[in-house]
Amino acid sequence: MSAFVQLAALGIAQGAFLLMASLGFSLTRRVEGFLNIAHAQYLSVAAFVTYFLNNIAQIHFAIAAFAGVVAAVIVGFVVGKLVYEPIRHLGPAVSLITSVGVVYMLDGMIEIIVGTGSFLVTLPRVAPVRVGPVTITLYQVLVVVIAVVVTLATVRILNHTKIGTAIRITALDRYLGASRGVDVKKAGNASWLLSSAIAGVAGVALAVLGALTTHKGFDQILIILAVALLAGLGSVAALSISAMTIGVAREVSLLWLPAGFRDIIAFGIVILVLIFLPYGISGRVE
Amino acid sequence: MSEALRFESATRRFGGLVAVNDCSFSVSSGELVGLVGPNGAGKSTLFNLATGYLAPSSGRVVVGEEDTTNVPPHELARKGLSRTFQTPVFFPELSALDNVLVAAHQELPLVSAITGAWKRESQHQEERARMLLRRVGLEQRASVDSAELSGGELRMLEVARQLFNQPSLLLLDEPTAGVAPHLQENLAELIRSVHEEGVAVIVVEHNLGFLLGLVDRVVCMAQGSVIADGTPTQIHDDPAVIAAYLGGPK
Amino acid sequence: MSPLLAAVITVGILIGIYGVVAIALNFQYGEAGLINFGVVAYFAIGAYTFAILTAGPPSETALDQYRWGFNLHPFLAALVAGLVGVIFSMISGWPALRLRGEYLALTTFAFAEVLQSSLVNVRAVTNGTSGFAGVVQPFRDAVGNYNLLILVAALALLLFTMWFFQRLVRSPYGRTLRAIKGDEVGVTASGKSPEKYRREAFFLSAFFIALAGVVFVIWLTLARPTSFGAEITFFVWIAMILGGEGNNWRVLAAISGLIIFDELIGALPLESVEAVQRVNAGQIFLTGLLFVLVLRWRTPRAGAI
Repeated sequence: MSAFVQLAALGIAQGAFLLMASLGFSLTRRVEGFLNIAHAQYLSVAAFVTYFLNNIAQIHFAIAAFAGVVAAVIVGFVVGKLVYEPIRHLGPAVSLITSVGVVYMLDGMIEIIVGTGSFLVTLPRVAPVRVGPVTITLYQVLVVVIAVVVTLATVRILNHTKIGTAIRITALDRYLGASRGVDVKKAGNASWLLSSAIAGVAGVALAVLGALTTHKGFDQILIILAVALLAGLGSVAALSISAMTIGVAREVSLLWLPAGFRDIIAFGIVILVLIFLPYGISGRVE
Repeated sequence: MSEALRFESATRRFGGLVAVNDCSFSVSSGELVGLVGPNGAGKSTLFNLATGYLAPSSGRVVVGEEDTTNVPPHELARKGLSRTFQTPVFFPELSALDNVLVAAHQELPLVSAITGAWKRESQHQEERARMLLRRVGLEQRASVDSAELSGGELRMLEVARQLFNQPSLLLLDEPTAGVAPHLQENLAELIRSVHEEGVAVIVVEHNLGFLLGLVDRVVCMAQGSVIADGTPTQIHDDPAVIAAYLGGPK
Repeated sequence: MSPLLAAVITVGILIGIYGVVAIALNFQYGEAGLINFGVVAYFAIGAYTFAILTAGPPSETALDQYRWGFNLHPFLAALVAGLVGVIFSMISGWPALRLRGEYLALTTFAFAEVLQSSLVNVRAVTNGTSGFAGVVQPFRDAVGNYNLLILVAALALLLFTMWFFQRLVRSPYGRTLRAIKGDEVGVTASGKSPEKYRREAFFLSAFFIALAGVVFVIWLTLARPTSFGAEITFFVWIAMILGGEGNNWRVLAAISGLIIFDELIGALPLESVEAVQRVNAGQIFLTGLLFVLVLRWRTPRAGAI
């Protein structure tokens, strides 16, 4: 029983990370209309910039992390404007195929700079804390807290600011919005910035939660897909439920299945959702 | 005479909108019927129900002897039910001849495609396709890329293709739309000759004038229901029909 | 044998093997409009099925965790490998083919990842991460330079594949496929089912890709899960897009170019492991860049399903 609770706690930390990782992805899907496979690479960018500045340039972690997020924002914005926007009219399938090329570009760039191998961000050692039957580290708690903050901030931006409303209208119906005077261009820019920023924070969390490899980014994309597809095109709330469910399910499944099968579960979820719930748990129609 | 098509209390709803409302009428094999009604009367929806592109919400459609609910459109097409669409359907990047030939070789197993067994028939199929192009006046345009054909030519091309497999029932959805007036007589003549071969034809038309002199029977729909069924003259004078068209048939 | 000759033979074998995959993909995407991001799965299945079926009984050592030794004749094993590839495509196609465009891409991608994961985890069948070593090479003893024989086999398979799909495309079957790309509704009105054609294209491609996998594993004599990752799928995709989907010869030229470029990079006299890594990374970057540029400036079939 305590093993279950321990794994569930780890699952919550994972779920929090997954929520941040998928939030930007989902936003891009809704505003720009396609699935950006390269989204996980934005996490990598942030993670590796953080690693580089923190470990190699010996800059304080907080600054390195901030720089990491900024790097992700810049990369995401530039890629969005230069690569994706000019081809948007060709349809979501072409954008999806193009994003594979972006994956290669970003992975290649990161590997050129950092090389291959396993990298661990050096952080102040913190003793794990025991809370009841559960042992967790401060960093895991921090990730959960940050995820909550980021999510609430995103919800606030989307629902209570002018630009957020513009983003939501653009996501709902770009052309109708444009004809009603919504600055679709500005909304598009803002959504690139927002989704990349969230990805950046998720990338920092990735760096904090474990060792980094240059493939880690791409490994995440399938789980991100699972989370995003399970949630459908729905609300942040649906995404939160989806992320937590998958995060906890993956950890708890270790009680019964060898670790390798966790991925099969994630992929299996993607397949099942695509067959039976093409609109995800939120049930909204595109 | 046997029956080509029968609607039995066919109804089709889209959410709250009832596009076809409890329609019952039948068309005998060999009849030439016009289907008229103002915009939104449900004529195209009725066609979609007949040809399998939509399933009835209630009631049923019977083609020949068979209930067609849940039969996919391509199967109905194979059973002798052929239709055209409001906007002519064609295959760009294919020549006019190839457009017609798409209807050929309905049964072409993969193996035959590899071994080349289809070539035995292909000359015959090509002759048939050219004959149909001649019939619709397009034989000079056989090798032209269909994307370069005019609206009227595309309409004739579509009819040619839909005649390839010798249908027993032909449904034409607003065939004169986009066809220059001086060519409409060609179209009428084509329909007449097809009818003379024993094919049952239903023509949806806004242009009541086109139907006068072509068909023996007109069914008029409004707001999803059949409101009149008779000879063209009877329909022309029917008060309910006049009211539905708000001031007179066009 | 000179190293240059060995290199040329290697390049030829790779062109043969990946060329088959590229041609099969070109048919699926260029003719039938299917976006299959799980191509490596059929490749892996072809390779593994052949390895499993031709393997002898497991030895007593700890390395051999697999259960069954079939010891099947290589030709039979190759044929079965192709058929198992088709069966897998039917299993994955049942859910996948109901979807279109990006969702088809994702489902096929997910299936390929599940397969690769299974190759690692279902040890009783696949022998886990160790895989199968010492795969049977038919006619090994009869020939001096065995790689030359493999080259002949690979190129023969390539030519057969090209001939096969060319025949198909030039027949009324191909005409129907082009019509489906033009207007599906018109095709149904002509009595043909677009779903049936798409399904057949999907299964047929899987067969040839699986056969390519068989040649691959005979050449390498090794079947391991790490050899069958998504990179193979995307490598072939990039070649197809660069070549221009629809034209087999251009696709073949593109994949040959990529393979030769790859081998040339590999032959560079680099001093350190790091340098090799950096250069590889640069190659990956350039490939991605080229891909993005080609997609941007050569308008692909807009409305590709």
